[in-house]
Parts: sequence; structure tokens; C-alpha cells
Amino acid sequence: MLFWVIAAILTLGASLAVLLPLAASVKGASSSGEHDLEVYRDQLSELDRDAARGLIQPAEAAEARTEIARRILRLDNAGAAGGATAGRASVTARLVATIAVLAVPLVSWGLYVKLGSPDLPSQPLSERLAKNPADSSVDELVARAEAHLAANPADGRGWDVLAPVYLRMQRFSDAAGAYRNAIRLDGDSAVRQAGLGEAIASAAGGIVSADAQDAFEAALKLDPANAKASFYLAMALAQEGRAKEATTAWQAMLGRLPPDSPWRGAVEQALAKSGSSDVASGGATNGPDAGDVDAASSMSPQDRETMINTMVAGLDDKLRQNPRDPEGWMRLVRSYVVLGKADQAREALGRAIAVFGADSDQAKKFTAFAASLGLAATE
Amino acid sequence: MVETGHFALVLAFALSLVQTVVPLLGARLNNQRLMAVGGPVAVTGFALTALSFAALASAYASSDFSVASVWENSHSLQPLIYKITGTWGNHEGSMLLWVLILTFFGALVAAFGSNLPATLRANVLAVQGAIGAAFFLFILATSNPFIRLNPAPIEGRDLNPILQDLGLAIHPPFLYLGYVGFSICFSFSVAALIEGRIDASWARWVRPWTLVAWMFLTGGIAMGSYWAYYELGWGGFWFWDPVENASFMPWLAGTALLHSAIVMEKRSALKIWTLLLAILTFSLSLLGTFLVRSGVLTSVHAFATDPTRGVFILCILTLFIGGSLALFALRASRLTTGGLFHPISREGALVLNNLFLTTATATVLVGTLYPLAVEAFSADKISVGAPFFNLTFGPLMVPLLLVVPFGPLLAWKRGDVFAVAQRLMVAFAAALLATLVTALFLDGASVFAALGVGLAVWLILGALTDLAVKSGFRTVATGVMVRRLLGLPRSVFGTAFAHLGLGLTTLGIVGTLCFGTEKILSMHAGETVELSGHTLRFVGLYPAQGPNYAEDRGRFELIGVSGSPVGEISSAKRFYPVRQMTTTESGIRTIGFSQLYISLGDEGKDGSVVVRLWWKPLVTLIWGGGLMMMAGAAMSLMDRRLRVGAPSRRRKQASALPSATLP
Repeated sequence: MLFWVIAAILTLGASLAVLLPLAASVKGASSSGEHDLEVYRDQLSELDRDAARGLIQPAEAAEARTEIARRILRLDNAGAAGGATAGRASVTARLVATIAVLAVPLVSWGLYVKLGSPDLPSQPLSERLAKNPADSSVDELVARAEAHLAANPADGRGWDVLAPVYLRMQRFSDAAGAYRNAIRLDGDSAVRQAGLGEAIASAAGGIVSADAQDAFEAALKLDPANAKASFYLAMALAQEGRAKEATTAWQAMLGRLPPDSPWRGAVEQALAKSGSSDVASGGATNGPDAGDVDAASSMSPQDRETMINTMVAGLDDKLRQNPRDPEGWMRLVRSYVVLGKADQAREALGRAIAVFGADSDQAKKFTAFAASLGLAATE
Repeated sequence: MVETGHFALVLAFALSLVQTVVPLLGARLNNQRLMAVGGPVAVTGFALTALSFAALASAYASSDFSVASVWENSHSLQPLIYKITGTWGNHEGSMLLWVLILTFFGALVAAFGSNLPATLRANVLAVQGAIGAAFFLFILATSNPFIRLNPAPIEGRDLNPILQDLGLAIHPPFLYLGYVGFSICFSFSVAALIEGRIDASWARWVRPWTLVAWMFLTGGIAMGSYWAYYELGWGGFWFWDPVENASFMPWLAGTALLHSAIVMEKRSALKIWTLLLAILTFSLSLLGTFLVRSGVLTSVHAFATDPTRGVFILCILTLFIGGSLALFALRASRLTTGGLFHPISREGALVLNNLFLTTATATVLVGTLYPLAVEAFSADKISVGAPFFNLTFGPLMVPLLLVVPFGPLLAWKRGDVFAVAQRLMVAFAAALLATLVTALFLDGASVFAALGVGLAVWLILGALTDLAVKSGFRTVATGVMVRRLLGLPRSVFGTAFAHLGLGLTTLGIVGTLCFGTEKILSMHAGETVELSGHTLRFVGLYPAQGPNYAEDRGRFELIGVSGSPVGEISSAKRFYPVRQMTTTESGIRTIGFSQLYISLGDEGKDGSVVVRLWWKPLVTLIWGGGLMMMAGAAMSLMDRRLRVGAPSRRRKQASALPSATLP
């Protein structure tokens, strides 16, 4: 409402700027002749000064004086014709004036209605962070927590609360940092270590790296019954190609888990996947599908799978544009292997070797690397 | 507040339409009332644009991420000063600054132009309004800074880190004050063409605007050059980058305009040429805006890319440049010429200056546009770099600089070169001496370096000779001389200072290019290195945390003659996580007029760091000369001559308000 009042006042002011001069009485204007005469007079006196200072020779000064005098004479002749005569408004002038006065509100309101967002208030960040938490969005709450932690970085509880939120928002590296801070400040706990492991693994696209394994192992040491840690460690086994051991571990988990545990479904799914791919390709290459990795997390399995597939596809795309990146190629091949897409892994390996030349050292490295994953180069 | 700013912008656009049409028709119909509309509308339009700009700046300062432009170019962790300067560190905001300055100049004409003939004033304001309307429309249609986001993101994407710098805070406003200042000269020219006559005092009204614009443009270019020097970490001060050329071309043309306007004002000669120059200068400013803002260039500066914008600006460009030149072709023959002079005279010298400067402008124009044309008509992308400009621009500048000291000493209408040469003997002898000393006594000085130093000394002493001769040095008693010196018109000092600044800049360029030394090496903490007689010890690399970046700061100690440290220089590599960008903060220590310049390279595996060191003799003179030129322009602005031109009944008012025609 206030905005419309301001807009109306501004429009009024702008319209007045047009209207007032049109309504004002006309003062007699000076003709341009008067202006010119003044300049010529000054030119004459300056000429005298220049001549006195020796900047112009006497003969030339006289010549210049004549030139100026001639201009003044010409001015006098023209003077009779000059001078502003108007003052009375003709019909045309009245029409122009009316259109001009109307144009200001019409153009401005017309355009603003099309372009503006009058209902959207200003949202300075400080105000957004200070308002009632109940009205805030998740993003705003997180930003507020971040601001609080930036000011009090030693608040372990704050980090502890924020870390799982980061995980859920898929800000994995922030989540890992938050878990580390919480562990450093408030001490170890199985939940924190398992969360840290999950954050590290998710940041790596679902691959349980050595760092993540360390974290999960630490979690299990503190609480041998921690389901998340057990699940991911089995996943690590599967990713290393030790499918049998992984299956055993998951089956052992199923035996231990209480009947209402949310992990039951995830483990069963993982088992089903690992079993079926075992049958399909029958080698050590058949890592479990990404969906299993993340069935445990808060996202739905489909969502998570889509996400991981997009990440891999993104990497693939990047390498198509910028192929001279040996580490990228290795990451891509490994990702496909882990996702159980052996054909695509083989195809990527072929492309990688083509980029660097079949005889290059790099190509040999690729082949060796693929072999270590249980993948043979293009048959 | 944000929406108020948006509304004010739309309203300012509506007013600019009125400002274009009504005074123009008023002048046609010779109707006082219609003509009078121009003034108040121009002032109100400026007030509204200022309100709009303030609204945007406050959105930036308060990190209001519901504004798309703020979200794209700001971050809540940036220091407040960079939040505010971020307002014009991006395409949308900088265009708003552009029109803000445009309307500001229009308002100045309206406020202080009461001594202009009514029709001229109306036409000038109308042309100014037309330029404003075109750019308001451009902003509203293609680069609206007030587009909102709902829901608002909680964090912005940060300002380009290389722009988070104090140099950038000042550089664009200065540059725009220069670019846009020439719009007034353009409007005056087009107004004269519309009327079909040039008032005698036309040049007196145009010259201060030219001076103001030229002064700010000089400052803007110098500032931009210094910014590139210390922020980009290459140690270079001029790259012949198209964006730099874009600002350099109006400067060259503006310099020519400044000089031809003197002839027009004092001798009523060169009228048509001056008019054309004024049109060309602003056209080059528009071209510069087009080059930078349309994204046709890909260079360090070009951070705006969007083809629709390019096409829009191209249309504006065609409309104004094509329109004004067509009008010029139609009307120029009706304008009277006047003022005769001999080839050897002050007028002749100024014509020579104009010839060289416009040719130089054309050279830069070709070098800037040719690569674009090649790119447009074939798939090749070529770049025309320093070698081209050194071969074309250099040979044009040297003869011009050689004759600069003659100009101010020549008499009007008919000059005597030999008499002037005699007066310049001292300067010439000193320049010759400087050349010889450089060639014989400075190690590694090439013939070019020696001649360059000689040229710079010639320019500096030539400028001082001008003052000495005009104050009667050696011919009158010292007391009289001092009195005469103080009594000289300010414009004489302006000329001398500007030419002196030119000499200083030349000296700085020659010194840096010919005597600078450079070293690139890998250093471990504790190692020392010597460069041109200065010993530096690398203390070590220390990590530090800034508000929105992390940096590795390399500290160096400058070791004095006695072996103890006399000062510290630190250079840093900063990493800005939001944009995932790294910038170099060069370490600079000024010693006299020279500088030691350190830039950090990559870190080696064994803890060593690649360090690039430069010794840049006299480098500060490059920008010092620029400041001197600005001072010259400021002094010239204070000259009484520029305040004349009003009918006598207004003279009282003019003397009560000493800067009646000035901002």
C-alpha cells in the first residue's frame, strides 16, 4: 500500500515538472544576438591583452579586430529579424502540451504494471535472518545457523544440528566439515562418525573411499550395532569387487536388525541387486547399483540414483569437451564399474585410450587400471 | 524501496520522452512555454534516476537477494565497500550509472544554462533527452537491474573477484563521467545543426564541457591502467586491449576537440570541423560502450555477454551516429566559416595537432575493429596486439610530441617558427644533453631509450619554457616576472600543466619499457634475490583468511645497504570459493618514482614458490602525468574566459556565481 502512495506522489511530482512550465507566465527572453555581441566584445578585449603580451603581432591584431568588427556588423543586420516572438499558445502547442502532461502517468504506470513486482517487498538479508524462525524457509534457517556459527565457531552442538541438515540439502562437503567440527568440539560418537562417513561417500558420488571407511569403522568401534556404518562398510566391500563378502555382511545385518528398522528395506534391496548382477555378468566387476548405496539416506532410492547417474553423465560430458584429463577418465571408468555398467565402462576406456593414442604410456596406465577393476580393454 | 527504485526508473524514462519531444517542438514553433518544459523535466528526470540508483545501491548494500542482479553479483560476506561498489561492477548496474551521469549532465545544462539562448537550450536538452530515452529503453528492455526473484535465494554468487578492489570503485564512474560528458558536446553540436546556425559563444559553452569530460576520462583511463597494473599481476600498464582502446579512442578524439575548440572560441575558425569532432568524439564513446557492453569482445574486462543487448546497442549506435552525421551532411554547408590564418601560426599548430590526433584515433579504431570484422566474416579469431600499435600509433605520436612545445609559443594568425625555436633553445639543448647522458652513461640503454628520454625532457622543459617566456623570464626584473607569472590567465597554466603531464607520462613509459628489469625464479623461504641493486629476502608463505576468500601471503623483506631489513613487501594469491577463482594480489613498494613489483606464481612440491619480480623505474610517472593533465584541465576550467558569453544584464549574476557555466 505504502508503495502505491509513493508511486502516486512520484508521478504527481513528475507531472508537475511538465505542467508548471506550461502554465507559467512567459518571461521576455534575450535574443541570441545579445549573447553573440557579448562574446565579440570579449574577443576584442582579449585581443588587446594578447597584443600587449606579444602573443599576436600588431598587424595581425588589427586584421583580427576588423574580422570581429565585421561580425558585429553582420549581427546588427540580423538583429532586426531575431528575438523570440511567441508566448501565446497555438492550437498545435496546446495539443503537444496536453499529450505531454498525459504521457507521463500513462507511460510510467503502463510500463511499470508490465515490468514491476509491486507486491514483492524488499528483503534485506539481515531482516530475513532476524524474523520469527517459524516463518523462515529451510534455506533461511540454515543461513541463520551459519551466521551464528561464523560468530561462535566453537559451538559443537550447533555443528551437530547443522550437519544432518546439510546432508539432506546435498551440501555434502559442508556436511563433512560440520561433522568434523562437531567431533572435534563435542567428542566422538557413533552417529557423528557414521554421518561423516556418509557425507564423504556422498560427496564422492556414492563411492566409499578409504576416508569414509575409516569413519565408519570408528563408528562401529563406538557402537557395534550402528546400522549405517555396517551397511556402508558392506557397500565398500561390494565396490572393491568382494561381492560374496558383501553379501555375507548384509545377510548378517539382516539377522541383527530389529524388525522395524528402517534399514531392513535398504539391505534387502542391496542384496537383491547384488544377487541379480552377480548372475548377469558373473565377474568381480559387478558392484552394486547406486540406488543401494543411498537407500539408507533420507532421499528416495530413485531420486538418489537419478542424482548419481546425472553426476556421472556430467563427468562424461565434461570429458567429451575436455578429453585430456587422465584422472577424469579413470574416475569415469571406475564410476561405471561401480554402477555395474560394464559396457559403458569399457566404452569409456576405449575413448580414453583413443584420446591419448593406443601406444602411449597413458593408455597402458588406463589398461592396467581397468584390469585392476576387473575390466578388460575393448575386445 | 526496491520497487520504488524500479518505478522511479520507469518514470524517468517517461520524462525523457517528454524532454525529447516537447522542447524540440517548442523550438520549432518558437513557443516559449514548450521550450521552458525542458529545464524542469531534465532536473526531475535526474532526481528520479538518482532515486532509482540509490534504491539499487541500498539493495546491494543490504544484500537483498530478491533482486536478481544483486544475487548474481554480490555475496553476504563481501566487505560493505565492495557490496556498494558492486552496484556498478556488473552490466545492469553500470548501465544505470551511465544514464545517471547522462541525466546529471542534462540537469546541469538545465540548472546553469540560463544564459543560453532559449532555442539552443531547448534543442540541447531535447537531444540529451533523446540519448537518455534510448538508454532508459535499453535498460528496461534488456538489462533491467530491478528484476526480482521469488522466493529469494539466501546467498548470492559473489562479485567477480578481480573487481573486488578499490581501483574498480573509482574507475568506472570516472570513465563514465568522461564518456557521457562528451554527450553534452554532442548535444550542442546537433542542436547547432538543427538550428542551422552556430552562435558566436557556442565554443565558449562547449569548451568547459569538453574540459570536464576530458579531465574525467583522463582520470578514468589512468585509474584503469593502474588497476590493471596491480590487480592482474602481469606488471603491464597498457595492453592495447580492445576495452582499453574503447576508452582511448574518445580520449584521443576528445583531445583533438579540446584543441580545435580553442581555435573556434578565440578566432571563430574551424567551426564545422569542431562540430564534426564533437559528434565523432561522442560517437566513439558510444562505440566504446557498445564494445564493452555487448560482449562482442572476449577479453579480461568483458564480463557481459548477451547478443540481444548487442543488437540493441548497435541500433542505438546507428540511430545516433548515423542520424547526427546525416544531419551534418545536410546542414554543414549552411554554417558560416570565419577567421583566416596562415599555415604557420597557433591556429595552424592546432590544426596539425588535430590531424595527428584524428589519424591516431583512426589507427586505434582500425586495430580494434579489424579483428572483430575478421571474426565476423570468417571463423578465424585474430588479435592485433602491441606490435601493430607500436608500428602505427608510435610513429604518429613521436612527431606530434616533437612539435607540442612549439604550439603554445606560436602567435595567433601568423607565427614565426624561428623566433619560437630560439626561445626553445634551452629546452632543446637540455633534451640533447639528456639523450647523450642516457646513451653514454646508462648501461643497456638503446638508441630508442636515449631518444625517448630526450623527447620526454623536451616536452617537460618545453612546457616550462612556455610559462617562462610568457612571464618574461630574463627580460624583466624578478619581481615583475613573478607578478606577471601570477597574472597569467589560468588557461595558460592549464596548457603548461597538461603538456608537462604529457612529458611526465612519456618519461614514465620510456623508463619502464627501456630500463625495467624482470626476474622469474623459484624461491624457498629464507632465500634472497637481487634485482637492479635491490636485495629481497623471501620470508615465507603464510596462509590467512579474508572475509570471503582464503589467501597465501608471501612476505618479502627488502634488505638495505647495511644488511638489515628496511621494509616489507607482501604479495598474495587469493582464492574465492564462491566463484572458484584465484586472483593475484601483487606486492608493490614505491621507491622514489620507481616501483618494485612482486607477483606470486605456483607453489612447487618442495615448498618453493615461483616468484616474478619486476623493477619498474619511473613507472609512477605514467599515472602522475595523468594526474598532472587532470590538474591542467581543472586549472583551465577556472579561467575567466569560460564564464563570458552571457548578455551583460546577467553579468552581475555570473560574477556572484563564479562557476556559472560549470558543474
